[in-house]
Amino acid sequence: MLGFFCQAGLAQDADKLTSGPGSTLTENKCKICHELQHIRRTPLSRGEWADNLKNMRERGTPMTDGELATILDYLSAYYSRDPAPPAAPDSLSSAGSDPIAKLLEAHACSGCHTLDKRVVGPSFREVAQRYAGEAGAAARLAAKVRSGGQGAWGQVPMPPAAGIPAADLATLIGWVLAQK
Amino acid sequence: MDETRRSSRRSSRRTFLSGVAGAGAYALLGEAAAQDKPAAAPVPAAPPGTVTNEAIKSGKDASMQYHSERPLTGSVPAHQHDFDVTPTDRMFVRNNLLTPDIDVAQHRLAVKGLVDKEVSFSLDELKKNFPAVTLQGMLECAGSGRTNYLPTASGTPWGQTGGMGCPKWTGVRVADVLKAAGMKSGAAHVAGQGGDPGMIATAAPVIRSVPIAKAMDENTLLAWDMNGAPLPKIHGYPLRLVVPGWVGSASTKWVHTLTVLDAPFKGTYMTSSYVTPKWSVEPGQKMPADTVSSEAWPVKSMITFPAPNARVKGSDRVTVRGRAWVGEDSINRVEISVDEGITWQRARLASRGDRYAWRTFTFDYQPQRLGYLTFLARAWDDRGNAQPMVSGWNPLGYFWNGVHRVGVMVEA
Repeated sequence: MLGFFCQAGLAQDADKLTSGPGSTLTENKCKICHELQHIRRTPLSRGEWADNLKNMRERGTPMTDGELATILDYLSAYYSRDPAPPAAPDSLSSAGSDPIAKLLEAHACSGCHTLDKRVVGPSFREVAQRYAGEAGAAARLAAKVRSGGQGAWGQVPMPPAAGIPAADLATLIGWVLAQK
Repeated sequence: MDETRRSSRRSSRRTFLSGVAGAGAYALLGEAAAQDKPAAAPVPAAPPGTVTNEAIKSGKDASMQYHSERPLTGSVPAHQHDFDVTPTDRMFVRNNLLTPDIDVAQHRLAVKGLVDKEVSFSLDELKKNFPAVTLQGMLECAGSGRTNYLPTASGTPWGQTGGMGCPKWTGVRVADVLKAAGMKSGAAHVAGQGGDPGMIATAAPVIRSVPIAKAMDENTLLAWDMNGAPLPKIHGYPLRLVVPGWVGSASTKWVHTLTVLDAPFKGTYMTSSYVTPKWSVEPGQKMPADTVSSEAWPVKSMITFPAPNARVKGSDRVTVRGRAWVGEDSINRVEISVDEGITWQRARLASRGDRYAWRTFTFDYQPQRLGYLTFLARAWDDRGNAQPMVSGWNPLGYFWNGVHRVGVMVEA
């Protein structure tokens, strides 16, 4: 069991950015569409990062002005042509030491969902209110997370998360369904 | 027409989705029962209605090098390009979005915008109504060779020679289709739109437009075959634009709509991507306000034989072989240098084939001494442009056409 967690953790960590203020938000937004190696391999000037983020927003990344500013500050510090500062805790991450929050960020759920407010996707509370109590809800939600979905909450599809370890998925689904 | 297409997509998505959901649930049960199994790689699966990376790779040669998985990008290195006509399984792979799985029976091409009458055609109707044309034509990603730029430019990390290929295409002329619709006065650009979906619904559609003159060129096609067989899904099945000689993004894959416009299309793939500075900038600086849309490739060549670091016998002649091309105009000559560009000797150039096909060159050389020997190839076009040793830097790393070099070891 422990071995399973370690392996899953390693695989999950493979595509990561240097930890720093804003790194989690940056990872979550960028990996919706592409690997993070596209960031790691190209240190850019702040001006180029600003152009890049403008371009990514035009291409459809859901990103508020505030989020864009945070990501720009993070990328300009850690993926700049100037020497990067040492890795630091992501003080802007909401995850803290809460294991559920950590899982939600690690699997990029929190890029689009929050506990009680609709962002890109439905809030976890809405999901719980709709499905908790239905027979087989956990298995159906789990399958939906894996394959992605569209239509149940509007036309913005949820990207599939096929690689999420079964144990993490079970933990998260159990938690979500308890949020009503 | 739009309705037909949407409903076809809906039905294929529905079918696919039910399959995936079932498979997902099964996998979950399986893993819950045996948790000592390693977890699947954390790469999101292709969404419903799209083609998986595994399926795409299964149609590709083993020499293909993949530069990223999301999005999937791949190409073969120069020494695996030693063909007069690029085989389909060595054609480079690059999408902005995902690869759709399209039902040809439902697919239609619509022509809209500044036309006398809006028309649409199924693939069969295109084949029936217009003369078919087969030609060899060059396609190359705008960022091909990007990793040569210093400092590193942002974007797909294409290797030294990049993502390009020169297969044979069969289709109908865009000009014939546009004439059937009849263009109104003021028509200036034609925009192609394809059926590729993004990871999320907010993804902007990839729409690129080309000037009318290029759209009406007799070599600009709506193609359904590549090297005599239907286009593979990754290369645009069932129908794609082929705008030879120009940056690959002009050749819209899975094309379902051509829109005739009075000006270049204004969208992110025209204004923020596929642009270069009007006036060059200091390397490492951001894109200036004045930009130029990327169109034809400048003159370029690569050595496709021998392979880098090949061992050759000093007593034997070495035959260097390669390919040279230019987006518009034509190749005038190719030269080889064995002294780091101080002196150059002419290579033999194969006779000219199709207007936008690359040309094979060969050069026989008797090694003068033992040790490491480096060949440089430089192509010239008819307007007097030659490949530079190092291409001028631009923020998005486009149009690398620096002189290609291949070294071999001459042994006793």
